[in-house]
Amino acid sequence: MADEAATVAPHASIPSGDNSVWADVSPLLQAASQDLQEGELIHGDNFNLFAAMSALEIMDPKMDSGMVCTYYSLDEAIENGAAPVPISEDKTIDVRCTIDIMDHLLACEATWHKGHSLAQTVYACLYLLRPERTSSHALLHSYCKVIRATCNAILSVVSDARTHEEEDLFTMAYGLPLCGDGDEKCLSLLNAVEETISRQLRACKASSSKRRVSEDIEPLQDNSDLEEGYCRALLCRLRFRKHFYHLLMSMKRPQGRGLELARKHIASCISEIDHIQKSSEFLRTSAYGMCDQNIDTTASGCQPIGFDASLNCRLSAPTPPRSIKILCWEKALEYFIKLLQDLDIVCSYSLDPSLEAALHFVVKFQKSQPDLVSRAHLQLLLVQDGKLYGRDSMLSMITRAAGLPEVTENHDIEKNEFMMQLGQLVINLLKILCTNTAWQRRKLGKMLQDWRVIYVQLEMAFKKKFEEASTTSNTKKICFKIYQHILAWVEEKTYWIAFRFLSLGFELELYSFHDYCMVYWYIYVVLIKLAEKKHLRMAMSSDAAKKKAKKKKDSLKDAEMDHHIPAAVLFLQSQIYLAEGLSMMFAAMRNEHRIVPLQSPFNTEHEIFIQQFELLQKACVPDHISYVTFKESTSHANLSTLAICDYFKEAQRIAKEVKSSFANDSDTMAELRGVEQVAERNSIALNVCRVGALDPKLKISFAFSHHPFFATAIVKRS
Amino acid sequence: MLAIESKESRRRRRRRRRRKKKKKREESMESGKKEDGEMEKVEFDASEIEYVSYGGEHHLPLVMNLVDQELSEPYSIFTYRYFVYLWPQLSFLAFHKGKCVGTVVCKMGEHRNTFRGYIAMLVVIKPYRGRGIATELVTRSIKVMMESGCEEVTLEAEVTNKGALALYGRLGFIRAKRLFHYYLNGVDAFRLKLLFPRPELHPSLPMMADKYESHMRSYHGNAPSIVE
Repeated sequence: MADEAATVAPHASIPSGDNSVWADVSPLLQAASQDLQEGELIHGDNFNLFAAMSALEIMDPKMDSGMVCTYYSLDEAIENGAAPVPISEDKTIDVRCTIDIMDHLLACEATWHKGHSLAQTVYACLYLLRPERTSSHALLHSYCKVIRATCNAILSVVSDARTHEEEDLFTMAYGLPLCGDGDEKCLSLLNAVEETISRQLRACKASSSKRRVSEDIEPLQDNSDLEEGYCRALLCRLRFRKHFYHLLMSMKRPQGRGLELARKHIASCISEIDHIQKSSEFLRTSAYGMCDQNIDTTASGCQPIGFDASLNCRLSAPTPPRSIKILCWEKALEYFIKLLQDLDIVCSYSLDPSLEAALHFVVKFQKSQPDLVSRAHLQLLLVQDGKLYGRDSMLSMITRAAGLPEVTENHDIEKNEFMMQLGQLVINLLKILCTNTAWQRRKLGKMLQDWRVIYVQLEMAFKKKFEEASTTSNTKKICFKIYQHILAWVEEKTYWIAFRFLSLGFELELYSFHDYCMVYWYIYVVLIKLAEKKHLRMAMSSDAAKKKAKKKKDSLKDAEMDHHIPAAVLFLQSQIYLAEGLSMMFAAMRNEHRIVPLQSPFNTEHEIFIQQFELLQKACVPDHISYVTFKESTSHANLSTLAICDYFKEAQRIAKEVKSSFANDSDTMAELRGVEQVAERNSIALNVCRVGALDPKLKISFAFSHHPFFATAIVKRS
Repeated sequence: MLAIESKESRRRRRRRRRRKKKKKREESMESGKKEDGEMEKVEFDASEIEYVSYGGEHHLPLVMNLVDQELSEPYSIFTYRYFVYLWPQLSFLAFHKGKCVGTVVCKMGEHRNTFRGYIAMLVVIKPYRGRGIATELVTRSIKVMMESGCEEVTLEAEVTNKGALALYGRLGFIRAKRLFHYYLNGVDAFRLKLLFPRPELHPSLPMMADKYESHMRSYHGNAPSIVE
């Protein structure tokens, strides 16, 4: 039967062409299959892992996503009463169930933000999938509308920012009704519903306190004992959604114009979350005995009605057939509080028109480990229309950061093609710094080569320009200035990126204990270069500023400034000593057999070095650095000489000294304290090791208890 | 029966599958540690374990059973055959008194101008863990890769799988990258890499082979635990 149908059907639908005719290939296939031995197919040239992995075994529930569905279609689910409107004819039950839906949706939303697919989280809600069905139920309808609008807004921020490289599940929204009719006006409906419920709340409070029957106002539901509690529970949920949506809209405004307003909505959101949390006790008790109350995604503990994640397995084919663990309700609220706090940090940023300030801000922001949504918002704020905050052109920001004197402002530096490329590179850097740290580190590493290349190109371009400029004119002088300043700044930034690349490796736990010696050594050489370039650039800037000041009036302080090492450089200096100290300490311990080096059967420390610093070496950051130089500088380290030349003591001394210069900068102060503490402890540990050199019971270990990437030594007698 | 998916979903599924596979492998190794208390360890001498190179179709059910047994989700027959038919020399099985107790499945090929090996599956059943079987299996594969001209070997491991990370760390693998939310449960992965010495850097390459021999001897001598 089936065979006949298969051979007959094509005849009927597709006629034979001029040069073709339909033929039954079954006998041919049968004959061919006799020849084919088991496994032969896999030998085909075009059969790759791609093909092997794409193979599905139909009807196997673990592979065939269609198999795990409760319903075959949304229509079937609705016909079966999986998502009734109203949810119940009993108004009290209807309200209770609506709140459960709201709570579960919030949990789904948080789960989505955390990196799961929209289809299997928020859009597991059948009510969202058919926007028009809820129109008779104002409460549910308004909530569904604002959820869709919110998801849509967040989705567009994240896709615009493109910071989600590895979080790509987030933006997948195949075939989902993200934007229902009139969803953009979601707030007006929400406001109307909120208004009605707050009247109902007023009415029930009036009737309970003054025993006066309030006319005209129909209560929310029929049980007067529960009226106030349900009204309150609904109000905080609706208001949270309202403020959250407002917040997103305010943050969308160009050039950060809505940030102040956004902060007000953030405060309102946080206070509504507090009310939501407090409503849980009422909701739990009022639902007692009405359901099993063993669900953790709703405040009441009841199973929410109208959700089926399996339905979307088929709606959006790429979602793997796996059940997703939805965050519990408490965790979802925690997530939203964290998100709001992170967004508040973004909104409180002063939009300082300085590249250094912006870079510093992102790095600081990342320390709180913000999630995708807040990172995307920060990125969109920093870079809009290719400008910093959508306001300041990148080139003017670069020339300012490089400390170029104002005389050069009218110079045609902006027309230089490599300067344009440099501008783009800075934009990329800002964007990369907003991505998750794992992705960020890889991108920073790859980016080092671009910075190196642009440096060389700029150098050549400037040289050419310099030679072309007539000897008599002032242009030559200006050219030379630009040349010096920009190049020094590019180099400084290159080493800054390298330093961040190396230090992020600790945060991401990429280094093993055996690699610490070489990693700290590399940090040490990079930091020396960074300090050197920074010092040079700062000296040039202060030189330029000084000359300008001198034209106006003679400053007495100039002479002092000349020989003073800037605090920022001294801060680096303390870290240089710390990194060198740690590297030498590890080297000494290995040289004196305190730690047993790794004995791989397949490679040596040399290969480990090549792999760890591959991207830095490719970009020649810094020049003339290799495994050989590493070995030369560490092979003679021993504990007794280390004590004479104590790097840790130096680090501690400088950190202590420089603190006064950062009295107003709490972050740098905290970092300095960290450096000081690590240095102090390591200095003591080193002494203990040296004195107890012959004590085999001394065990030394390391922990990141005082600094994210400078390890603190702990010596114990075992 | 085979079904062809859309291009888009195929691309994604391929990625997911790989993730799942890796995850499961590590999970299975990890779980051995947790259940050590409940699990009856089998008493055996390291010399009783017999290591065999993949020998043909009769070994395939053994590999599949072992992987299926340890992993909750089965892979299509095509995935197994893809590996064992194209690189039979990189797959090994470990037997104890005729029973298959562990297996390793790998591949190798061009990847961005380098010839690299890839460790796809590594399983040792729970009662036999902690006795160096996984290390021996994976070491045999790596040795063949090295002899076949591979420049490096890679794999992914879950960041929480301390046992596997330690095992590969001892073999000279570095954690080259962290892959954010690599697994569907939201856990990150490490991409591990082992770079082989290049002849021009090490004129005395045969030395490496000697090193390997002595390393293996030390493994059998003391039988240190793999899964900590």
